[in-house]
Amino acid sequence: MNYVFHLLTMINIYTILALSLNLLVGYTGLLSLSHAAFYGIGAYISTLFMMNIGLPFLPSLFLAILGSVLLSLIISIPSLSLKGDYFVLASLGFQIIVFTILYNWIDVTRGPYGISGIPRPNILGIQVESIASYFIFSGVLAAICAGLLYLIGDSPFGRVLKAIREDEISAAALGKNIPRFKVIAFAIASGFAAVSGVLFAGYLQYIDPTSFTLMESVFILSIIIIGGTGNLSGPILGTILMIILPEILRFLRIPDTIAPNVREIIYGILIILIMRFQPQGLSGEYKFE
Amino acid sequence: MIIQLLVNGIINGCGYALVALGFAFIYNTTRTFHFAHGAVYTLSAYFFYTFYNLLNWSLSLSAILTLGLIALCGILIDDVIYTPLVKQGASLFIQMLSSLGLYIVIINFIAMVFQSETKILNPEVQATYSIGNVILTRIQIVTTATFVIIFGLLMTILKKTYLGKVIRAMRDNPDLVSAMGINPQNVRRVVFALGSALASVSAILIGLDVGIDPHIGLTAFLNGAVAVIIGGVGIFEGAALGAILLGLLQSFAIWKISARWQELITFLLLILFLLFRSEGILGKRRRIEEAKI
Amino acid sequence: MSILELDNVTKTFDGVRAVDRTTLGFDKGKITSLIGPNGAGKTTVFNLISGFLHPDEGVISYQDRPISGLAPWDIAQMGIGRLFQDVRLFNQMTVKDNVLTAFKKQRGESALMSVIARWKVAKEEQLLSSRAMKLLDFVGLAEKEEELAENLSYGQQKLLSIARLLGADADLFLLDEPTAGINPQMVKVFLDVIRRLTEEGKTVIVIEHNMNVVIEISDWVYFMDEGQVVSFGLPNEVLGDPEVRAAYVGL
Repeated sequence: MNYVFHLLTMINIYTILALSLNLLVGYTGLLSLSHAAFYGIGAYISTLFMMNIGLPFLPSLFLAILGSVLLSLIISIPSLSLKGDYFVLASLGFQIIVFTILYNWIDVTRGPYGISGIPRPNILGIQVESIASYFIFSGVLAAICAGLLYLIGDSPFGRVLKAIREDEISAAALGKNIPRFKVIAFAIASGFAAVSGVLFAGYLQYIDPTSFTLMESVFILSIIIIGGTGNLSGPILGTILMIILPEILRFLRIPDTIAPNVREIIYGILIILIMRFQPQGLSGEYKFE
Repeated sequence: MIIQLLVNGIINGCGYALVALGFAFIYNTTRTFHFAHGAVYTLSAYFFYTFYNLLNWSLSLSAILTLGLIALCGILIDDVIYTPLVKQGASLFIQMLSSLGLYIVIINFIAMVFQSETKILNPEVQATYSIGNVILTRIQIVTTATFVIIFGLLMTILKKTYLGKVIRAMRDNPDLVSAMGINPQNVRRVVFALGSALASVSAILIGLDVGIDPHIGLTAFLNGAVAVIIGGVGIFEGAALGAILLGLLQSFAIWKISARWQELITFLLLILFLLFRSEGILGKRRRIEEAKI
Repeated sequence: MSILELDNVTKTFDGVRAVDRTTLGFDKGKITSLIGPNGAGKTTVFNLISGFLHPDEGVISYQDRPISGLAPWDIAQMGIGRLFQDVRLFNQMTVKDNVLTAFKKQRGESALMSVIARWKVAKEEQLLSSRAMKLLDFVGLAEKEEELAENLSYGQQKLLSIARLLGADADLFLLDEPTAGINPQMVKVFLDVIRRLTEEGKTVIVIEHNMNVVIEISDWVYFMDEGQVVSFGLPNEVLGDPEVRAAYVGL
């Protein structure tokens, strides 16, 4: 049963990542390969505050979100002028830079040795300890995030983001401040990614940079490509599918040594098939075109 | 000491340059962000490993076979993955994402079949030669010489042959190619074959030097892509220039800072170029403004 | 009374002067046409006015305030609206959403407001929704409100772009070849719309190749060639000018 809670907790964590990246990629049309960087930044900021100065969970969470949002400005503001291809490259560069810092700034992050013993959260006196209770806790947080992202997306603000995705030039001609909207979308996405990071850290109670690599960014992107972008159901479906997939493989008796590879091969093939035959993903609204 | 660093930098750069040139041939002419180029690189290394180390065939046979097979793989990838998308009118983003998917598939196949630990292709200790204060291993010399020869060949082909003319036409104005009576599809095939073969040369050389593992392709590809951007997109010489500069820069980074921060320097450089000089070093300052209305 | 002026404006691309020391004036409430062969610089003028390009030399003033150098969205907010030569719709959005996007000063365009002031935003959306339906009604697309813009016919798409532009509530309209590619009945509809705008005091500048349209609605005409204004005046004067006729084959 614990194992089921584990899966569901991971689904909760990744749902937030998928839905937030969806705001950036699906709504605004900004293909970003740096989402894992903000995921990691959130994890590390909250962990460092909690463990080095004993800051309680909620303020640490807040600081993690704040830090992630501020750092997002470092990449989003200068990159506004970059066209499509180049923006992706810049986000890729940023992702690798963040990873390199997390990996090599050993004095602060302990690099590849990782940080262990991360405490489970204590919220206003309630200690979230067991895996079951963490599942509930992460579920509540995921529901809140999903709700917020829904409100943000299903609004005139979301409409402008989509307009920017569809045709930036006529959106500009209609008076929409394109850079401002892009920066805000990026900041929102990064803030939510940080929440996932905090949840992840509190769950595994151990973090190291290898959870926040370029390939992790690619994985999150794959979730929304396969599941679908532009709406709520796509990313959620994608998350469930991608988290459950390894379990299905296990059920099919695929040996553990090659299971991770098989899993990745499957999702690589899925990406190729979806891009070719169903660019809106399994359940999405927006067709990559 | 400095000279050694400089030389090492240039030699590393020569290694990257082959990958970069391969990527450049494909990117400049088809605008495909061929992420899977990294997978092709890795595949080359493992094909060679299979022939040379597992089957114990001779070096030259293994190398030639690898080159040929990889060139075919390049063509296959374009025919199966990219061209159908292009025919569908798919955007470059879709092609890039498909390329990412393909990269994932190929690399994981390799990891599954060969496992992930580093394999050494050449267990003997390298013969070294000294020129003045500088020490070079045999493989370093071969890499550099190979690069110089190949670069010379490529530039000759590009500038002096009909094929080169067609390739340059494809880069500047794809419609022109059909007007010239040539099937653009075939030009794509040539370019993918050539680009992939270049990657395989680099993979074999560097593999013989430092060994192989399933992730060498990503590093090689990223370095190659950065080199192309720095040198100048669309300019073939730019890829080589960018690669050598990158090699030099990384050497200096190792000297002044530490090897650990190499990647940070590389990608910081990428971002700086993207922001302030996206046309690259050799690119023309075409500050074409936002609107192409 | 002049509402928009380009004073000695130059714009160079790759060594070619797309717009060459050009001076243009546009009167409020009037319809001015910009005509000339392809490549004459007319669309560049529109780009310069709407802020997508900045002049290398010269000043552009709107209502006596200099606007050259401002961002396109700021210029749009000042009341300048633009119809593009390519119908630039939000393809994967519905017809209704296309129009809704045009309205200015939407409280809901703040992410924060959309979350914490959801009620107020919802109320505003209701009002905007009925405004949008009125505009769609006006162009005859009311039934298609939930249709994706990319699924409309070309003519319908053009009508939608007009509806969207009207939603932007501009005072000055830049219309780039509004009647291109549409049938004569619809051309009449467009001309009616344009006239109604001026009746409400709006100013319209039109780039046109259809000389019948130019003659029918223009109060004033500028003829441009190779980046310069070669001739200007009343429609009949300009179109009677032999130099102008020579530049247009088959007039």
